[in-house]
Amino acid sequence: MIKRVLIANRGEIALRIVRACRELGIETVAVYSDADSHAPHVAAADRSMHIGPAPALESYLSIEHLIDAARRSGADSVHPGYGFLSQNPSFASACEKAGIVFIGPPASVLAQMGSKIAARRLMETAGVPIVPGETPRDQSDGGIAAAVERVGLPVLVKASAGGGGKGMRRVEPDGDIAEAVQAARREAMTAFGDGTLYVERLIPRPRHIEVQIFADNHGNVAHLFERECSVQRRHQKVIEESPSPVANARLRSRMTEAAIRAARASGYRNAGTVEFLVDASAGRGAERFYYLEMNTRLQVEHGVTEQVTGVDLVRAQLLVASNEPLPWPSASVTQRGHAIEARVYAEDPARGFLPQAGRILLYREPRMPGIRVDSGVEEGSDVPLHYDPLLAKVIATSATRDEAIRRLVCALREFPILGIHTNIEFLIGILEHPRFRAGDLETGWLDAEGASLAPAGPVEVPGHVQAAIAAYESESESQVEGPAARPDPWQRLREWRA
Amino acid sequence: MARVTRAGRGVYAVARGEEEADGHDLVYVAGPPGNTWAFSNGRVFRPIEPGRDAARPHVPGTVQLLTAPMPATIVKVMATPGQAVKAGDALVIVEAMKMELSVRAPFDGVVKAVHCREKEIVQPEQTLVELES
Repeated sequence: MIKRVLIANRGEIALRIVRACRELGIETVAVYSDADSHAPHVAAADRSMHIGPAPALESYLSIEHLIDAARRSGADSVHPGYGFLSQNPSFASACEKAGIVFIGPPASVLAQMGSKIAARRLMETAGVPIVPGETPRDQSDGGIAAAVERVGLPVLVKASAGGGGKGMRRVEPDGDIAEAVQAARREAMTAFGDGTLYVERLIPRPRHIEVQIFADNHGNVAHLFERECSVQRRHQKVIEESPSPVANARLRSRMTEAAIRAARASGYRNAGTVEFLVDASAGRGAERFYYLEMNTRLQVEHGVTEQVTGVDLVRAQLLVASNEPLPWPSASVTQRGHAIEARVYAEDPARGFLPQAGRILLYREPRMPGIRVDSGVEEGSDVPLHYDPLLAKVIATSATRDEAIRRLVCALREFPILGIHTNIEFLIGILEHPRFRAGDLETGWLDAEGASLAPAGPVEVPGHVQAAIAAYESESESQVEGPAARPDPWQRLREWRA
Repeated sequence: MARVTRAGRGVYAVARGEEEADGHDLVYVAGPPGNTWAFSNGRVFRPIEPGRDAARPHVPGTVQLLTAPMPATIVKVMATPGQAVKAGDALVIVEAMKMELSVRAPFDGVVKAVHCREKEIVQPEQTLVELES
């Protein structure tokens, strides 16, 4: 059994991993950059190691600094979380060489599934349908542009090492190919340290449905059903749910079988996700789906699967990495009820969704039955500008989709975050939209129609809010006496009791 | 003014009417006086930040300062002094939180001056490019 895990990540996922480790009696080592020395994930872990300056390339993306921190802290394993180095084969093999367990698939699987040419070839062989496209050998800007022409516009130019919409650009028939290629490459370099690009034909109006898979070191490969993540803004998932409102038993079994084939063909280990684009335009029973990519790591949205299956995926990751079999009896897992997650981002919908940095002045998480909040910040936290703007994930679970949506809206209405702008009002607008309520989704919806959900222009401040602000301001003015004016009870304490 | 009861740090219960039975709304407030943030029922209220939120119409024949939209790192500077540009041309690419955003020319004009360089960290409202029409 692994005994001490270095968590090569930050924010909510680092905290999530700390909690799973603690339940299993595993020690945790947090890492932090200069921008994160006071971050909650650092305080929550048993130990913490400084790994460099604020820019991610010199800290959370530095294999050298992370391996060094793992060695010096005596960690026997590394959990990469998601993003950063989680799908980087060089990092996994550096861990292997240092005798440290990488909690995830072997480096060879990361390399194969991370390389889109190899992954596409493998999927074809395994009988998994793929999106038409190309990864050009000639990786110059001209070479990519030529591939764009061959595949035929409209296309997506994507980072070979990508995920989460970073390093991806859409090119329309009248679009600027060169600018898109250069932007995708720069973003890929910053986010993943690898600028290799590939081109995929754009499937019109697709739904995004993915299957959670899990494999142990003893030949067991299982799926944990699907998640639908069709509500995306610029390819960043915003709302995720399980089950998918469109998946009937037949589509579900076809997709989960394809996902298991994909996992077996790649020699998969640990937690992973097979993403599919689903073309549901031909109506019920005639859905077509295409392999999009395999995410060789824990997903941001893993929580919705945990809520409907009752499986703790991070705990399972730790056990499987310790050579244990899958920690649930085969065929015992079912989808129970409905779970929906909303991602709370530090961004300003009224100003083009600009990422926000700054201090959180007030932060109160909603507390109610059936609501789970996975968060990486607290009141007083500074949100740095260097990293992903995800602040928290709010997950509502209930018996039906309608009930889960209503519960999530209630929770978001009681989630005050002040000091930086967030997308909470925008999230409520999505959840209350008739098309979302009807489950009539496609990945382009939010970018087209959903833009009108962003607040614009000045708003009238309701009377009760004005009254509260007035009370707050007069109260602040009356608090003129300094701390010295009040006696400090702690100064007088001599003895302590339990 | 409605009756307001402090219900906790930064939390206020504002009466809806004269009678207790009329009920109340909860409002959360934080920030320095005069520059407060308030939250009620899923909505945030914030004084308009001059210059940041207002659209600035351009008067032909004058110079407009193009500023950083947020704290960000300069990724690429395409604009060079004296360069003629068209509305919509990307002049500077900035990056924050791993997402890239282009600062584009709001009108056809000539680049008068460039005030940023690659890898520099810039603050909101800092001038990046001067554009003349």
